[in-house]
Amino acid sequence: MFELALKNILFYKGRSLTTFLLTFISATFFVVYVAFLDGSHESMLKNSLKVYTGSMQIYQKDYRDEGGYDYLIYDNKKIFDILENVDGVYAYTSRLETYGIASSKSESSAMMISGVDFKKESKISELKNALVDGVYQSTQNCLYMGQDLAKKLDVYLQSEVSFVGNAIDYSFAADIFKVCGIFKTGMYEFDSSSAFLNREYFDDLFYSHNTSSYIAVTVDDLSQNDYLAQTISKKLPKDIRLYTWQELMSEMVEAMKVDSIFGYISISLLFFVIFFVILIYGFINISARIKEFGTLKSIGISDSQIDKLLFLEVFIITMVALSLSAIIGGYCAYYFEINPIVMEGMSEMYKDYGIISDEIPTVFDLFTIFWNLSVILFLNLLSVLYPIYYVRKFSPIEAMRHV
Amino acid sequence: MRYLIIISLFLSSVFASEADDIIKKLDNNMRGESVYMKISMNIKSLRHERTIKMQTWSKGKDKSFVKITYPPRERGITFLSLDNEMYNYIPKIERTIKIPPSMMLQNWMGSDISNDDMVKQSSIVDDYDAKIIKKDGSIVTIELTAKENAPVVWGKIISKIDTTHYTGVEDTFYDEYGEKIRIFSYGDVKKFGKYYIPTVWKIQPVSKKNNLTTMIVEDAKYDEEISDQYFKKSALKRFSR
Repeated sequence: MFELALKNILFYKGRSLTTFLLTFISATFFVVYVAFLDGSHESMLKNSLKVYTGSMQIYQKDYRDEGGYDYLIYDNKKIFDILENVDGVYAYTSRLETYGIASSKSESSAMMISGVDFKKESKISELKNALVDGVYQSTQNCLYMGQDLAKKLDVYLQSEVSFVGNAIDYSFAADIFKVCGIFKTGMYEFDSSSAFLNREYFDDLFYSHNTSSYIAVTVDDLSQNDYLAQTISKKLPKDIRLYTWQELMSEMVEAMKVDSIFGYISISLLFFVIFFVILIYGFINISARIKEFGTLKSIGISDSQIDKLLFLEVFIITMVALSLSAIIGGYCAYYFEINPIVMEGMSEMYKDYGIISDEIPTVFDLFTIFWNLSVILFLNLLSVLYPIYYVRKFSPIEAMRHV
Repeated sequence: MRYLIIISLFLSSVFASEADDIIKKLDNNMRGESVYMKISMNIKSLRHERTIKMQTWSKGKDKSFVKITYPPRERGITFLSLDNEMYNYIPKIERTIKIPPSMMLQNWMGSDISNDDMVKQSSIVDDYDAKIIKKDGSIVTIELTAKENAPVVWGKIISKIDTTHYTGVEDTFYDEYGEKIRIFSYGDVKKFGKYYIPTVWKIQPVSKKNNLTTMIVEDAKYDEEISDQYFKKSALKRFSR
């Protein structure tokens, strides 16, 4: 049966070539498309994690729900000691975030001021790379301020900004800062409300020694993040909770899922067209071979054997095309994962959307390639069902007389 | 049926008018023509407790001046509420700051009252429709519903008032969705001049069971001459010392 199928494939070159090319092109396109789709999502996510979030964050329970100074971590050192002894943790740092009123000579605005360790922060976040003017690692009462906040307050480097807020015992905390650095991450909300102050000065002003809103952590290998999160969680005190980036950025994860679904819907329209082209070509080919099937039936070949023959023909063509697609599509996905396409100026153009890199990478994942190709195989096998049904309607005599 | 409708309309207008009258009397008791108070405020939360002492001067509905006198670290901080706007002077940095609208719902001095509460005290009379919903001896329960388009935070306030001297017993604040947010309870009514006011005010946010702000009126002087100088922006620095 296999040999007969092979002979038929070679004999009906037009149909075979059309099916082969359509299958090959659509499968290769599908593999590369999905690799870029996943790649762009992963890249956006990594950008976001890199900018400020880190791959996990540790909080006092209820801080994220209730907020406020009553739910701060009041013993950073205890958590640091735990993190220090976990393999796979790349870096960690504590941050204390509080809100207050920032005022320049002419403008006032709500401001989130964060006390950070600038050295540690540079290992965890992109704040250092987001510097657009002045200096990153400020000392004393120097502020590292978001560009949009600086615009809102109408301040520049060396301008004075007064701040009024609450220390962590809820007493008044007020000071006059100097703008020493201006950053832009591209996340407008962040850039228009945030400013950073070195931790020592911050702690003296806000009485926040050894205290933090949360501790941000990054890991060596993001794929090990869930495992490490479990390991660390087990070691943390009961009133402390760890959140992974998936939990911290659940809205973004959901948005990407929706984007993927729309991406698949768009490409499924293409498959719909290709499916019908293959179906029509197959049907025309089989219609022209009715006499042949009549002869086969008259010499005792059963309907199910003819079904098998037709399935085999499509299966062989599809498998050859998919093998080639797997190699070429897979290679493209692999190549562009290592050597992402670089579009100069893209990050500058799309900085407002949180894109901080000019690279468009792909994701090379064998399982993804396997399911991509399986979808095409399934569609091709589906396309042979109607021709089989059509052939089955003829008796051997009717088939032999078919013109 | 027609008479029933007329009677119920008449009764509701009588109750509304009576409710307005009670609220105005209560407001007048709290405010007088002018009032100077010494207040001590104790703020408790899950982890912290602190006490602030202050002096306040107010005149009419739209002008009030507050000066913090204790603790020493915060002594001399002043606040001025003027026509629904709020200014703050901090001696440490020698700056006067106008509280921006985005910060008006922030807690005032870490307590359970907001900056907005400080400014919009007068709006209970102007921005809410009052209706009596219960009478129990001298205690009258009034429902205050925010007027359409009124620039207020609370959707509804249920106010229990002792009509003996027109003093507040309890105010329950609801947001625009009808959810209970906080309760003010008042006690220890004392007479100052011709006015009666509760001298202990307790503020309990519903969602934060560990929080409690207690304000004690230590002294009050009504209808004495208060200089208009207190209600100018320059007063923030001038009277800070």
